[in-house]
Amino acid sequence: MSVRLLALIPVAVATSLALSAAVDAVALPLFLDTTGTILATALAGPAVGIATGVLTSAVNSLRNPTFWPFVVVQIVVALYAWLAARAGLFRNLKTALPAGFGLGVIAAVTSTPISYLVFGCTTTGGIALTTALGKALGLPPLGACFFGSFVSDFGDKAVTFALVTSVLHALPRRTAARFPLALRAIGTA
Amino acid sequence: MRAAHPFTQLAVAATLPALAWTLPAPAAGIATAALALGLTATRGLRRGLWPALLTAAPFWLFLFLLHDARTTLAIGLRITTMVASFVWLAAALVPARLVEAMVARGWSVSAAYLIAATLSAVPTLRARAQRIVEAQRCRGLSPRGSLRNRMRALRALAMPLLLSALHDVDERALALATRGLVPGARRTPLRAPADPVLERLARWGLVLVCVGALVWRLV
Repeated sequence: MSVRLLALIPVAVATSLALSAAVDAVALPLFLDTTGTILATALAGPAVGIATGVLTSAVNSLRNPTFWPFVVVQIVVALYAWLAARAGLFRNLKTALPAGFGLGVIAAVTSTPISYLVFGCTTTGGIALTTALGKALGLPPLGACFFGSFVSDFGDKAVTFALVTSVLHALPRRTAARFPLALRAIGTA
Repeated sequence: MRAAHPFTQLAVAATLPALAWTLPAPAAGIATAALALGLTATRGLRRGLWPALLTAAPFWLFLFLLHDARTTLAIGLRITTMVASFVWLAAALVPARLVEAMVARGWSVSAAYLIAATLSAVPTLRARAQRIVEAQRCRGLSPRGSLRNRMRALRALAMPLLLSALHDVDERALALATRGLVPGARRTPLRAPADPVLERLARWGLVLVCVGALVWRLV
Protein backbone atom coordinates (compact mmCIF):
# COMPACT_ATOMS: atom_id res chain seq x y z
CA MET A 1 0.00 0.00 0.00
CA SER A 2 1.43 3.39 -1.01
CA VAL A 3 1.95 6.22 1.46
CA ARG A 4 -0.89 8.20 -0.18
CA LEU A 5 -3.39 5.38 0.37
CA LEU A 6 -2.12 4.93 3.94
CA ALA A 7 -2.74 8.65 4.56
CA LEU A 8 -6.22 8.38 3.02
CA ILE A 9 -7.56 5.85 5.55
CA PRO A 10 -7.48 7.96 8.79
CA VAL A 11 -8.86 10.97 6.90
CA ALA A 12 -11.71 8.89 5.44
CA VAL A 13 -12.56 7.46 8.88
CA ALA A 14 -12.57 10.92 10.43
CA THR A 15 -14.88 12.35 7.72
CA SER A 16 -17.44 9.59 8.39
CA LEU A 17 -17.53 10.59 12.03
CA ALA A 18 -17.29 14.36 11.46
CA LEU A 19 -20.25 14.40 9.06
CA SER A 20 -22.55 13.93 12.04
CA ALA A 21 -22.17 17.70 12.65
CA ALA A 22 -23.64 18.43 9.19
CA VAL A 23 -26.44 15.88 9.74
CA ASP A 24 -27.27 17.41 13.12
CA ALA A 25 -27.42 20.88 11.54
CA VAL A 26 -30.00 19.88 8.93
CA ALA A 27 -31.88 17.56 11.33
CA LEU A 28 -32.38 14.73 8.85
CA PRO A 29 -32.73 11.06 9.93
CA LEU A 30 -29.42 10.06 8.32
CA PHE A 31 -26.20 8.44 9.61
CA LEU A 32 -23.74 8.98 6.71
CA ASP A 33 -21.36 6.78 8.74
CA THR A 34 -20.31 4.84 5.63
CA THR A 35 -19.34 7.93 3.60
CA GLY A 36 -15.63 7.51 4.31
CA THR A 37 -15.76 3.79 3.51
CA ILE A 38 -17.49 4.37 0.16
CA LEU A 39 -15.28 7.34 -0.75
CA ALA A 40 -12.06 5.49 0.14
CA THR A 41 -13.18 2.44 -1.86
CA ALA A 42 -14.20 4.51 -4.89
CA LEU A 43 -10.80 6.22 -4.81
CA ALA A 44 -8.50 3.37 -3.89
CA GLY A 45 -10.17 -0.03 -4.04
CA PRO A 46 -11.48 -2.65 -1.61
CA ALA A 47 -8.46 -3.12 0.67
CA VAL A 48 -8.39 0.57 1.59
CA GLY A 49 -12.20 0.60 1.84
CA ILE A 50 -12.33 -2.40 4.16
CA ALA A 51 -9.55 -0.97 6.36
CA THR A 52 -11.49 2.32 6.52
CA GLY A 53 -14.73 0.50 7.40
CA VAL A 54 -13.16 -1.60 10.15
CA LEU A 55 -11.40 1.41 11.67
CA THR A 56 -14.62 3.46 11.49
CA SER A 57 -16.46 0.78 13.45
CA ALA A 58 -13.63 0.51 15.98
CA VAL A 59 -13.44 4.27 16.62
CA ASN A 60 -17.24 4.58 16.68
CA SER A 61 -17.34 1.75 19.25
CA LEU A 62 -15.33 3.83 21.70
CA ARG A 63 -18.22 6.34 21.60
CA ASN A 64 -21.05 3.83 21.32
CA PRO A 65 -20.05 0.15 21.74
CA THR A 66 -23.07 -1.13 19.84
CA PHE A 67 -21.37 -0.16 16.55
CA TRP A 68 -18.76 -2.91 16.75
CA PRO A 69 -20.89 -5.95 15.76
CA PHE A 70 -21.94 -4.01 12.63
CA VAL A 71 -18.37 -4.04 11.32
CA VAL A 72 -19.60 -6.72 8.91
CA VAL A 73 -21.91 -4.14 7.31
CA GLN A 74 -18.96 -1.81 6.72
CA ILE A 75 -17.08 -4.63 4.95
CA VAL A 76 -20.11 -5.43 2.77
CA VAL A 77 -20.47 -1.70 1.97
CA ALA A 78 -16.80 -1.53 0.90
CA LEU A 79 -17.15 -4.57 -1.36
CA TYR A 80 -20.36 -3.22 -2.92
CA ALA A 81 -18.79 0.21 -3.46
CA TRP A 82 -15.81 -1.45 -5.14
CA LEU A 83 -18.11 -3.26 -7.60
CA ALA A 84 -20.03 -0.01 -8.18
CA ALA A 85 -16.79 1.89 -8.83
CA ARG A 86 -15.54 -0.78 -11.24
CA ALA A 87 -18.85 -0.56 -13.09
CA GLY A 88 -18.54 3.25 -13.25
CA LEU A 89 -21.75 3.78 -11.28
CA PHE A 90 -20.41 7.01 -9.77
CA ARG A 91 -20.47 8.65 -13.23
CA ASN A 92 -23.61 10.67 -12.47
CA LEU A 93 -26.53 10.86 -10.04
CA LYS A 94 -28.79 8.86 -12.37
CA THR A 95 -26.58 5.81 -11.89
CA ALA A 96 -25.39 6.56 -8.36
CA LEU A 97 -28.83 6.92 -6.73
CA PRO A 98 -30.18 3.50 -7.82
CA ALA A 99 -26.83 1.97 -6.79
CA GLY A 100 -27.24 3.64 -3.38
CA PHE A 101 -30.78 2.31 -3.01
CA GLY A 102 -29.45 -1.15 -3.85
CA LEU A 103 -26.82 -0.80 -1.15
CA GLY A 104 -29.56 0.28 1.28
CA VAL A 105 -31.36 -3.02 0.74
CA ILE A 106 -28.15 -5.06 1.05
CA ALA A 107 -27.08 -3.16 4.18
CA ALA A 108 -30.50 -3.74 5.75
CA VAL A 109 -30.36 -7.47 4.92
CA THR A 110 -26.85 -7.68 6.41
CA SER A 111 -27.59 -5.69 9.55
CA THR A 112 -30.96 -7.28 10.38
CA PRO A 113 -29.63 -10.63 11.73
CA ILE A 114 -26.97 -8.80 13.78
CA SER A 115 -29.51 -6.36 15.16
CA TYR A 116 -32.00 -9.17 15.88
CA LEU A 117 -29.65 -11.73 17.44
CA VAL A 118 -27.28 -9.43 19.32
CA PHE A 119 -29.43 -6.47 20.34
CA GLY A 120 -33.03 -7.65 20.04
CA CYS A 121 -33.50 -4.84 17.44
CA THR A 122 -32.70 -2.03 19.88
CA THR A 123 -29.53 -0.61 18.32
CA THR A 124 -30.61 3.04 18.13
CA GLY A 125 -33.74 4.86 19.22
CA GLY A 126 -34.92 5.48 15.65
CA ILE A 127 -34.52 1.87 14.55
CA ALA A 128 -36.14 0.58 17.74
CA LEU A 129 -39.14 2.85 17.17
CA THR A 130 -39.56 1.81 13.52
CA THR A 131 -39.22 -1.82 14.64
CA ALA A 132 -42.00 -1.19 17.18
CA LEU A 133 -44.04 0.34 14.34
CA GLY A 134 -43.41 -2.79 12.24
CA LYS A 135 -44.60 -4.95 15.14
CA ALA A 136 -47.69 -2.78 15.52
CA LEU A 137 -48.37 -3.31 11.79
CA GLY A 138 -48.45 -7.05 12.44
CA LEU A 139 -45.02 -8.04 11.10
CA PRO A 140 -43.25 -11.04 12.71
CA PRO A 141 -40.25 -10.13 14.98
CA LEU A 142 -37.58 -10.65 12.29
CA GLY A 143 -39.73 -8.86 9.69
CA ALA A 144 -40.24 -5.91 12.04
CA CYS A 145 -36.50 -5.81 12.66
CA PHE A 146 -35.82 -5.76 8.89
CA PHE A 147 -38.42 -3.02 8.50
CA GLY A 148 -36.57 -0.90 11.08
CA SER A 149 -33.18 -1.45 9.43
CA PHE A 150 -34.59 -0.91 5.93
CA VAL A 151 -36.22 2.42 6.79
CA SER A 152 -32.96 3.74 8.22
CA ASP A 153 -30.59 2.32 5.57
CA PHE A 154 -32.51 2.80 2.33
CA GLY A 155 -32.40 6.59 2.13
CA ASP A 156 -29.14 6.91 4.04
CA LYS A 157 -27.09 4.87 1.57
CA ALA A 158 -28.65 6.63 -1.46
CA VAL A 159 -27.72 10.04 -0.01
CA THR A 160 -24.23 8.75 0.79
CA PHE A 161 -23.73 7.49 -2.77
CA ALA A 162 -24.96 10.83 -4.15
CA LEU A 163 -22.59 12.72 -1.86
CA VAL A 164 -19.59 10.59 -2.84
CA THR A 165 -20.47 11.02 -6.53
CA SER A 166 -20.55 14.81 -6.09
CA VAL A 167 -17.17 14.75 -4.33
CA LEU A 168 -15.56 12.55 -7.00
CA HIS A 169 -16.76 14.91 -9.75
CA ALA A 170 -15.70 18.01 -7.81
CA LEU A 171 -12.14 16.71 -7.39
CA PRO A 172 -9.63 18.27 -9.80
CA ARG A 173 -8.78 15.69 -12.49
CA ARG A 174 -5.10 15.75 -11.51
CA THR A 175 -5.93 14.98 -7.88
CA ALA A 176 -8.34 12.20 -8.85
CA ALA A 177 -5.71 10.64 -11.14
CA ARG A 178 -3.43 10.14 -8.12
CA PHE A 179 -5.84 7.51 -6.77
CA PRO A 180 -5.98 4.17 -8.58
CA LEU A 181 -9.74 3.77 -9.01
CA ALA A 182 -11.12 7.35 -9.03
CA LEU A 183 -11.25 7.97 -12.79
CA ARG A 184 -12.77 4.57 -13.48
CA ALA A 185 -15.41 5.17 -10.80
CA ILE A 186 -16.61 8.35 -12.54
CA GLY A 187 -16.47 6.67 -15.93
CA THR A 188 -13.65 8.69 -17.50
CA ALA A 189 -11.05 5.94 -17.69
CA MET B 1 -6.08 -1.32 35.62
CA ARG B 2 -4.49 1.79 34.07
CA ALA B 3 -1.05 0.31 34.62
CA ALA B 4 -2.02 -2.91 32.88
CA HIS B 5 -0.57 -3.63 29.44
CA PRO B 6 -2.85 -2.32 26.63
CA PHE B 7 -3.25 -5.86 25.23
CA THR B 8 -4.46 -7.02 28.65
CA GLN B 9 -7.00 -4.19 28.76
CA LEU B 10 -8.24 -5.17 25.29
CA ALA B 11 -8.42 -8.82 26.31
CA VAL B 12 -10.51 -8.05 29.41
CA ALA B 13 -12.86 -5.77 27.44
CA ALA B 14 -13.37 -8.49 24.82
CA THR B 15 -13.73 -11.41 27.26
CA LEU B 16 -16.59 -10.03 29.37
CA PRO B 17 -19.05 -9.49 26.46
CA ALA B 18 -17.94 -12.80 24.89
CA LEU B 19 -18.81 -14.65 28.12
CA ALA B 20 -22.07 -12.72 28.51
CA TRP B 21 -23.19 -13.90 25.08
CA THR B 22 -21.82 -17.44 25.36
CA LEU B 23 -22.89 -18.52 28.85
CA PRO B 24 -26.53 -19.08 29.88
CA ALA B 25 -28.66 -16.05 30.71
CA PRO B 26 -29.47 -14.43 33.03
CA ALA B 27 -26.98 -15.80 35.61
CA ALA B 28 -23.90 -15.23 33.43
CA GLY B 29 -25.22 -11.84 32.35
CA ILE B 30 -25.65 -10.73 35.96
CA ALA B 31 -22.08 -11.80 36.79
CA THR B 32 -20.44 -10.24 33.72
CA ALA B 33 -22.49 -7.02 33.95
CA ALA B 34 -21.55 -6.68 37.63
CA LEU B 35 -17.88 -7.23 36.80
CA ALA B 36 -17.94 -4.77 33.91
CA LEU B 37 -19.78 -2.12 35.93
CA GLY B 38 -17.30 -2.70 38.74
CA LEU B 39 -14.47 -1.99 36.30
CA THR B 40 -16.11 1.23 35.12
CA ALA B 41 -16.52 2.28 38.76
CA THR B 42 -12.73 2.12 39.11
CA ARG B 43 -12.53 4.95 36.53
CA GLY B 44 -14.72 7.15 38.74
CA LEU B 45 -18.37 8.10 38.68
CA ARG B 46 -18.16 10.77 35.95
CA ARG B 47 -15.79 9.03 33.53
CA GLY B 48 -16.83 5.44 34.12
CA LEU B 49 -19.97 4.29 35.87
CA TRP B 50 -22.29 7.14 34.92
CA PRO B 51 -21.58 7.14 31.13
CA ALA B 52 -21.95 3.33 31.12
CA LEU B 53 -25.34 3.46 32.85
CA LEU B 54 -26.55 6.35 30.67
CA THR B 55 -25.52 4.52 27.47
CA ALA B 56 -27.15 1.26 28.55
CA ALA B 57 -30.41 2.78 29.84
CA PRO B 58 -32.12 3.45 26.44
CA PHE B 59 -31.52 -0.17 25.41
CA TRP B 60 -33.40 -1.39 28.47
CA LEU B 61 -36.29 0.92 27.64
CA PHE B 62 -36.54 -0.23 24.01
CA LEU B 63 -36.06 -3.89 24.98
CA PHE B 64 -38.91 -3.51 27.44
CA LEU B 65 -41.09 -2.04 24.66
CA LEU B 66 -40.23 -4.77 22.14
CA HIS B 67 -39.82 -7.95 24.21
CA ASP B 68 -41.12 -9.87 27.21
CA ALA B 69 -39.47 -9.54 30.65
CA ARG B 70 -37.32 -12.67 30.32
CA THR B 71 -35.83 -11.64 26.93
CA THR B 72 -35.41 -8.05 28.12
CA LEU B 73 -33.39 -9.25 31.11
CA ALA B 74 -31.21 -11.63 29.06
CA ILE B 75 -30.37 -9.19 26.23
CA GLY B 76 -30.26 -6.16 28.53
CA LEU B 77 -27.59 -7.72 30.75
CA ARG B 78 -25.52 -8.68 27.72
CA ILE B 79 -25.74 -5.17 26.26
CA THR B 80 -24.93 -3.64 29.66
CA THR B 81 -21.84 -5.87 29.88
CA MET B 82 -20.73 -4.81 26.42
CA VAL B 83 -21.39 -1.11 26.99
CA ALA B 84 -19.67 -1.07 30.40
CA SER B 85 -16.64 -3.00 29.08
CA PHE B 86 -16.14 -0.56 26.21
CA VAL B 87 -16.73 2.51 28.37
CA TRP B 88 -14.10 1.19 30.77
CA LEU B 89 -11.74 0.48 27.85
CA ALA B 90 -12.23 3.96 26.38
CA ALA B 91 -11.43 5.49 29.78
CA ALA B 92 -8.49 3.22 30.66
CA LEU B 93 -6.73 2.66 27.33
CA VAL B 94 -4.14 5.28 26.42
CA PRO B 95 -3.82 5.26 22.59
CA ALA B 96 -0.14 6.23 22.67
CA ARG B 97 0.62 3.23 24.94
CA LEU B 98 -1.28 0.93 22.59
CA VAL B 99 0.76 2.15 19.61
CA GLU B 100 4.01 1.67 21.54
CA ALA B 101 2.90 -1.82 22.58
CA MET B 102 2.07 -2.72 18.97
CA VAL B 103 5.43 -1.47 17.73
CA ALA B 104 7.25 -3.33 20.52
CA ARG B 105 5.42 -6.52 19.53
CA GLY B 106 6.71 -6.14 15.95
CA TRP B 107 3.63 -4.72 14.23
CA SER B 108 4.46 -2.63 11.18
CA VAL B 109 4.69 1.12 11.51
CA SER B 110 1.73 1.41 9.08
CA ALA B 111 -0.64 -0.26 11.55
CA ALA B 112 0.62 1.94 14.36
CA TYR B 113 0.25 5.03 12.16
CA LEU B 114 -3.33 4.12 11.22
CA ILE B 115 -4.44 3.97 14.85
CA ALA B 116 -2.56 7.07 16.01
CA ALA B 117 -3.50 9.16 12.93
CA THR B 118 -7.18 8.16 13.08
CA LEU B 119 -7.53 9.03 16.75
CA SER B 120 -5.92 12.44 16.15
CA ALA B 121 -7.80 13.15 12.88
CA VAL B 122 -11.28 12.60 14.34
CA PRO B 123 -11.35 15.63 16.72
CA THR B 124 -9.61 17.80 14.09
CA LEU B 125 -12.19 17.08 11.39
CA ARG B 126 -15.07 17.30 13.87
CA ALA B 127 -13.92 20.81 14.80
CA ARG B 128 -13.58 21.67 11.10
CA ALA B 129 -17.10 20.37 10.40
CA GLN B 130 -18.45 22.58 13.17
CA ARG B 131 -16.59 25.61 11.75
CA ILE B 132 -18.04 24.91 8.28
CA VAL B 133 -21.56 24.72 9.74
CA GLU B 134 -21.07 28.07 11.48
CA ALA B 135 -19.44 29.69 8.42
CA GLN B 136 -22.24 28.58 6.09
CA ARG B 137 -24.84 29.87 8.53
CA CYS B 138 -23.05 33.23 8.57
CA ARG B 139 -23.35 33.26 4.76
CA GLY B 140 -27.09 32.83 5.07
CA LEU B 141 -27.46 29.07 4.64
CA SER B 142 -30.75 27.92 6.08
CA PRO B 143 -30.57 24.27 7.13
CA ARG B 144 -34.28 23.96 7.93
CA GLY B 145 -37.52 24.00 5.92
CA SER B 146 -38.53 21.53 3.21
CA LEU B 147 -36.72 18.25 2.56
CA ARG B 148 -35.28 19.69 -0.67
CA ASN B 149 -33.96 22.70 1.25
CA ARG B 150 -32.35 20.47 3.88
CA MET B 151 -30.73 18.23 1.27
CA ARG B 152 -29.25 21.31 -0.42
CA ALA B 153 -27.98 22.52 2.94
CA LEU B 154 -26.49 19.09 3.67
CA ARG B 155 -24.57 19.21 0.38
CA ALA B 156 -23.33 22.73 1.15
CA LEU B 157 -22.09 21.54 4.56
CA ALA B 158 -20.65 18.16 3.58
CA MET B 159 -18.85 19.02 0.33
CA PRO B 160 -16.33 21.51 1.79
CA LEU B 161 -15.54 19.05 4.58
CA LEU B 162 -14.98 16.10 2.25
CA LEU B 163 -12.97 18.08 -0.33
CA SER B 164 -10.76 19.72 2.28
CA ALA B 165 -10.22 16.31 3.90
CA LEU B 166 -9.04 14.89 0.58
CA HIS B 167 -6.75 17.89 0.19
CA ASP B 168 -5.28 16.92 3.58
CA VAL B 169 -4.38 13.49 2.19
CA ASP B 170 -1.83 15.07 -0.17
CA GLU B 171 -0.21 17.03 2.65
CA ARG B 172 -0.15 14.03 4.98
CA ALA B 173 1.32 11.77 2.29
CA LEU B 174 4.06 14.32 1.59
CA ALA B 175 4.80 14.67 5.32
CA LEU B 176 5.00 10.89 5.75
CA ALA B 177 7.22 10.45 2.69
CA THR B 178 9.65 13.15 3.84
CA ARG B 179 9.83 11.45 7.26
CA GLY B 180 10.80 8.20 5.60
CA LEU B 181 7.66 6.24 6.48
CA VAL B 182 7.66 3.23 4.23
CA PRO B 183 4.69 0.84 4.58
CA GLY B 184 5.84 -2.37 6.26
CA ALA B 185 8.81 -0.72 7.96
CA ARG B 186 9.53 -1.43 11.64
CA ARG B 187 10.71 1.07 14.20
CA THR B 188 12.10 0.90 17.72
CA PRO B 189 9.61 1.90 20.43
CA LEU B 190 10.69 4.75 22.66
CA ARG B 191 8.76 3.73 25.78
CA ALA B 192 7.35 0.25 25.38
CA PRO B 193 4.82 -0.59 28.15
CA ALA B 194 5.92 -3.31 30.54
CA ASP B 195 4.37 -6.69 29.80
CA PRO B 196 4.97 -8.96 32.83
CA VAL B 197 4.79 -12.73 32.44
CA LEU B 198 1.79 -12.82 34.78
CA GLU B 199 -0.21 -10.59 32.43
CA ARG B 200 0.73 -12.67 29.39
CA LEU B 201 -0.43 -15.79 31.22
CA ALA B 202 -3.63 -13.99 32.25
CA ARG B 203 -4.36 -13.10 28.61
CA TRP B 204 -3.93 -16.71 27.53
CA GLY B 205 -6.11 -17.70 30.46
CA LEU B 206 -8.87 -15.39 29.22
CA VAL B 207 -8.64 -16.91 25.74
CA LEU B 208 -8.90 -20.41 27.24
CA VAL B 209 -11.91 -19.39 29.35
CA CYS B 210 -13.71 -18.07 26.24
CA VAL B 211 -12.91 -21.17 24.20
CA GLY B 212 -13.90 -23.42 27.13
CA ALA B 213 -17.22 -21.59 27.55
CA LEU B 214 -17.95 -21.92 23.83
CA VAL B 215 -17.12 -25.63 23.76
CA TRP B 216 -19.21 -26.24 26.91
CA ARG B 217 -22.20 -24.50 25.30
CA LEU B 218 -21.86 -26.34 22.00
CA VAL B 219 -21.31 -29.84 23.38
